[in-house]
Order: sequence, then C-alpha cells, then structure tokens
Amino acid sequence: MRFYLSLIALTTVLNGFAQQSELLIPKDAVTVFSLNNIQLLQKVSLDDLVSYEFMAEVQQELFDGSTSGKTLKDSGLDFDQRLNVFYGKGDQYEISGFTFGIKDKEQLFTVFDDFEKSKSPYEGVELYTSFFNNLLIKGNQGLLIRVEPTMEKIDEITDSIWYARGFEDPWMELYYPEDDYEGEYDGEMEEEMYQETFDTEDQGNYFPPDQEDPLKKNYFELRDSVNTIYQQRYFSFVCDELFKDGYNLMKHDLRFTEHIKHTSEGIFYLDNSRSVQKAQNLWYLQTMFPTLYNDVKELYTGNVILGDLFLKDNAVEFKVEARYGQELGSIYEKMNNSKFDKDVLKYIHKDNSAFFSYNVNLREAYEQAYKVIVPILENERNVQVSYNLLMLELINEYVNKDALFDTYKGSMFGTFNGIRKIKTKKIIFEYDEETFDYTEREVEAEEDMPIFTLGFSTERGDIPEKILKHLSRLTSRFKNMGDYWVYEEAVLDAASLYMIHKNGLFIFTNDEDLAMNHSDGYGADALKGSLAKKAKKSGFMYGHIDWSRTIDHFPRDFFNDEENEILDAMRGKTGNMELTSSKTTKESTKFNLVYNFNGEYENSGKYLLDLVNSVYVISK
Amino acid sequence: MKHWIYILFTGLVLGLTSCIEIIDDVTIHNDGSGTYKYTVNLSASKVKINSILALDSLDGKKVPSKEDIENDFLDVIESLKKKSGISNVDYSMDFSDYIFKLQCDFKSIEDLQDAIKAIVKEQSKEKDAEEYDYNWISWDGSKLMRSIPELDIKQTKSMKQEDIDLLKTGNYTSITRFDRPVDRFENAKALMSKNKMAVMIKTDPYSLTQDYNLLENTIYLTPQK
Repeated sequence: MRFYLSLIALTTVLNGFAQQSELLIPKDAVTVFSLNNIQLLQKVSLDDLVSYEFMAEVQQELFDGSTSGKTLKDSGLDFDQRLNVFYGKGDQYEISGFTFGIKDKEQLFTVFDDFEKSKSPYEGVELYTSFFNNLLIKGNQGLLIRVEPTMEKIDEITDSIWYARGFEDPWMELYYPEDDYEGEYDGEMEEEMYQETFDTEDQGNYFPPDQEDPLKKNYFELRDSVNTIYQQRYFSFVCDELFKDGYNLMKHDLRFTEHIKHTSEGIFYLDNSRSVQKAQNLWYLQTMFPTLYNDVKELYTGNVILGDLFLKDNAVEFKVEARYGQELGSIYEKMNNSKFDKDVLKYIHKDNSAFFSYNVNLREAYEQAYKVIVPILENERNVQVSYNLLMLELINEYVNKDALFDTYKGSMFGTFNGIRKIKTKKIIFEYDEETFDYTEREVEAEEDMPIFTLGFSTERGDIPEKILKHLSRLTSRFKNMGDYWVYEEAVLDAASLYMIHKNGLFIFTNDEDLAMNHSDGYGADALKGSLAKKAKKSGFMYGHIDWSRTIDHFPRDFFNDEENEILDAMRGKTGNMELTSSKTTKESTKFNLVYNFNGEYENSGKYLLDLVNSVYVISK
Repeated sequence: MKHWIYILFTGLVLGLTSCIEIIDDVTIHNDGSGTYKYTVNLSASKVKINSILALDSLDGKKVPSKEDIENDFLDVIESLKKKSGISNVDYSMDFSDYIFKLQCDFKSIEDLQDAIKAIVKEQSKEKDAEEYDYNWISWDGSKLMRSIPELDIKQTKSMKQEDIDLLKTGNYTSITRFDRPVDRFENAKALMSKNKMAVMIKTDPYSLTQDYNLLENTIYLTPQK
C-alpha cells in the first residue's frame, strides 16, 4: 500500500514538474496569455495559428510553407504543458514570443525548419537561430523568442556615434544633398523622405546613398550595425537571466506565480504598472520632472490585471481582477461608491440590442484624488509644477463644485437600438433626352444609421438647458420642441440629434421615436425583469449585448481596426454577452464577462484563439 | 482616360467605397477643340462618407482628411492648368453633398489626352508603365474613336462583397457631344440624343471593372456642310 501511495505521490510530483513551460517566460514579459487546456488547439491548423496577430512577432519562420496542411497536432508540441504567449516592452528593448512543451523534437523541426543549431552558452540548453528569432530548448520545454532594441534606443546610440564622428544631421543631408535648403526644418520632411526612399514599389533597387569612402558606413548602415549589436546584447541579457540566473517571471512576480496555478482554460496577466512606465506620454514627465515621475510610478505600483478564461459547453466566461495599490485604490473606491439610478431603466427599451450602465460618484472621486495627488505635486520643487498646483488649488477654492458635480454626477447609460433607415437628401442628375444636357436635383434618400442613446444623471439639468438656449440663438438648426431639443443634421451631417431633459437625466439620442413619443420613458415597454435586476445589482458597471440583434448590424466603419478584430471574432455567432462588476475595494475590482451562445462550435480551439487574439490586440 | 478613372476609383471608390455616380462628358467641336467635364457624385452616401472621414484609419489604411482630399484635388487642378493646349480650367468641391466637378477646354484631343496622361504619371508611383503609351481617344474630323478605362480587375478581386455590391449600385455615364449630327455609332448600348448631337453610354462602375469594352465606341458624324 505504501508503495502505491509513494507511486501516486511521485507521479503527481513528476506531472507537476512536467507542466513547466511557464518557467521559460522572461521576467520582462508585461503581458502573458497562458493557455492551459491546449488539447483544444489540436484541431487548429498551423496556417490559422500563424495568421493571428499575437503570433505576428514570431511567425516569419512559420510562413514559408512548412506549415501547409498541418495542424498543431503535427508540430511536436506537448499538449500536457501550457502554451504561453508573452510580450513586453521596456525602455531599452522589446521581447515577444512563446514558451511551450515539446513532445517530439523531430516533428517540431519540420515546422521550425528554418532554424539552424548554434553553439549554446548555456549548459543543458540547445540554441537554434533563424534570421529573426531564437529557439531555446531546455529538456522538454521550448522558448521561441525575439528580442529587439527599441527604436528610441537605436536612434539614441546611432545618433550619438554619428555626431561624434563629426557628421551633420543625416536626415537633412539625405533630403537636401545639394545643400540648397535654406528654410526651416519641417516636421513632415522626415516622413516625406521615408516615403521617397522606401515607399517605392521596387524596393529591390533601393540602395543607401554612396559614401566617398566605401569602407565608411553611411547613417543607415551604422544604424543597422547598432541594431544588430544591441539585439545580440539584449538577447544575451534576457537569456542570461533565464538560463544562468534562473530568474523568470514566476520568480519576479508572485502574483503571476499564483495566478498561473489556476486550472482555467487560459489565464491572462498584464502588469499595468510596467505598462504605465513604458507609456510614451510619461517620457516627458520622466525627463523633466523625475521626482514627480517616481511618485506617479509609485501610485501605479501593484497595478496588475489578472484574468481567467473558462470555456464551458455553451458559454465562455472571462473573469478579470484589476488590482491596484492603496492610494489609487482609494480613488477608485470613492469613485465607484455610487447607487444605480433607477430612472435609467425607463429609457432602455425591453427589445434593445445592447445597453450599458455606469455608476460613478465623480464628486467623491475628485475629493479623494485631490487628497492623493496634491501631496505628490507639493513634493516636486519645480516652477511649472508649483504653478499648476497653485492653479489647481485656486480652482478648487473658487469653482462651485456643487453646481459642477450636480450637473454631471458621473453616472451614465447608453443603448444601441439597431440600425434604422434615416431620411437624408441626395443629388441626382437628370438628363434632357433632347440634348443629354443634365441638371442637378435634390431628392429624398435613405441611408442606414445606427441608433444610439446616451444619457447621464443630473440634478442641475437647468445648466445644460442654459447652454442649449444660447445655442438656439446662434443657429436655427437648434430648436426647442417642448419635450425635447433638436439639433438638425448634427449626426454625420445627416441625422438629427435629440436632447431630452426629464426624470433627472439628460439624454442625447438620434432616435426620433424616443424623443417624439417617449420622452418620459418607454413605460410598459421599458426594460424590466431579470436584466433590470442584474443591472441594478451589479457594481459600478453593467453591460448586456444581444449578439443576434447587434453584432452583424454593427457598421464596421464606426470602429477602428482593433475594435473590428474583436467584432469579427464574434460575427456570425448568436447569444448574449453580459458584463458585471463587483463592488470596488481599495485593493481590487472584479469583472465578469460571460458570453452565452447558442449552438455548438465545430472548433472551440479556434474560437479560444479568436478571443485570445482580441484581448492581445487590445492590451498590446 | 483609363488612369484618370483609375485615380478616381482607387482614391474615392476603394478608399471611400460608396454609392458613386460618375459623369464623363466630352464636347468636341468641328476643329477638334472642345470641353471636358468630369463629375463625381457621392451624395447618396454622405452619411457613410462622413462616418469614414471621422476615422483615422479603415482596414489598416489611413483615411484622408477633407483637407487631404482638397489638397490632392487642387494639385491635379494646378497641374492641369500648366499643360499645353489646356485652358479655362474650372472646378468645384462640395463637401456637404460630396460632389466634385472638374472642367477644362482643350485645343485638340491630343492635348487633352497628353495632359491627362501626364497628370496620371505625376500622381502614380509607376512612372514607366506601358499603359502611358495607350491612346484612348482619337478624332479625324468625322469619326471619333473612344476607348475604355481599362480598370484593374485585380482591384475588384481583392474587394469585399459589400464593396462590390456598392460599386454595382453606382452609375457611370459617358457623354460625347458634337457640333453636328451623329450619323451612326458602333456600341449597341449607346443612346443618341433626340437632336442627334450627343451620344451617351450608361453603365455601373462594377461592370466597367469587369468588362473594359463597355464604353468603347466609334462614332461617325454626318459630313460637314
């Protein structure tokens, strides 16, 4: 009996160690998607896999025909290990790649057939390289990684060497080689130069300008050299940490270590504090006000988003926890300390396609933010910051905060009521049969228009009313219709925008029917029942979308590429999506996104990847 | 002509795919001089265009601003004004209804053709395409041969079905006018005006992309008195 127990224990331990592809995730990874149940992916074709954006950074080798007709099952992957996709960008370099378990190395290299074995500086680690990427294999775990210095770093080093060698501004020299330019430098110049140099269709004929001495590098050649050297340097740096020091993301962030133990189909990790540091708009702060930058960084310490993805029979559930530090948490806690405004429900039709409600208390959030931020600003010994702080304190004293925050309390709601035909006008050309001369005539036309309603709670609706009264004096397109206001041809120069101020709400809509016939609300046709209850009980946020009514009618033109990526993943599927949130505490807020769908999906792995890709695109 | 159309198609139709109406109107006097008018009417899709113009990019491509469109159009106008044999260049841009008009007088058909070819070459990245040698119109005093805008069918192959459907709902009208009556013409789809001084062919932009012979016509005039 003891023997069997020992055997079971040993098997458990060995299995536990086998699940360790995550040990190869570098500590610089800011975003990680870890797919646990990758059995689901066996049916996914490799060609489909490499077409995802989250594979974009590492896919060159896979796009050469070696994947044709193969599925992940043929790739030698160990489906008992996690597949971890990671991305991270710091001040100096950017990393991207994935880690995975390996079951059959021979099969693996039928896919990664462009890699050549190189001498590995790490004991027990095999190194394979290709033009762009590096594949490192340790035992039965693989790390495919690409490390690139940031453009800013390459520019900095290249420029430094270039100017130290006594050369002039390379961009000016290239753009005006004859020294015939006497005007001021134009910001568009660089863009034009790039276009002129690189946008030619026949790029094969492009060569950088000659140098007098062919042994000397021109600016672009120097830049390439800097890029190569720094690529190698950072690659070694990342790998030394992983394979010499044994330091990885698991050791770097215990929150990740805990989170990856979850048995959900996939987990998501985004270290917002590091994401904030890389934000371009903080560069100025870091350079000009280093103390303030450190304080802001401090404010974001502990800010991490952890998510779990569950695939169920007829549902996909995405649980997300946003964690933050005490100070930032105290602002969020105050901000989300708000009650649901029941009057909102009057303006949501029971047959609506999608709606959301958002309850925040801007007044309390402002007061708390003031308490947190003012001391930070007071610490900075800088004229400009002091001036801004003075302005902030004066505004705080002089502005009527009661009027301001009673006008816009912060709570709002929105609905999408589908696509309707709206009346517009178009010009047609009419031809005279005698001469074929033509004249223009304006006629009525119809075009599709998505119907939206957006409203916010207010106790001082008289203030926006004042604004509207003044606007109506300025243009005849602004009219007071009694129960509502109308601004003709306001939406896309075609549809009217209606404004309703009733029941403590100020509502903007392009829904003519709502304004003309239901300015007091939909009455018996308003949202009731379980959906209404859920909206009331949810934390600061609630959202509901009926895909069958919504998604296929969403006009692509109204969304950017990234948003369309998500919508495309959902198109053609029916069901509904519901977003709920917990009460916000000083430590965290939890969100739960449940997507219930009807029918079955042939390839749930493909569907999982659609979702992962959508989240990756948003978070990158 | 074909590249002229090509610019409009790639710039306006493929960029701001919409229900489009194009009128291409050439008047040829007995001495070979004449007037060329080109009208693009997108008023039937102004909501869609306004929504697209409100975006930064669409399908990964930068959406031009109204200023960009205006500047590009003005570039063409300025360039056209400088071309030999071209005069009285006039234009209008209506950004509320999205109607764009261009008009110019020409001394001879060859001048018009050369001017358009030169502008297309200036605007195109492809500077040495053999299509620049292609003559799309000729006039010998009694017979006019109009050829076709050979639109790139490949372009439509890469288009989405919804965009193709929109092209199908558009109109392309080609009108040729003369100082004296038309005797006969070869394109069976062409219509003659009641006064016999003009010939019109109507089609849709999508059909044009699929069959570049649609607008091809040879028009014979009655002898000059």
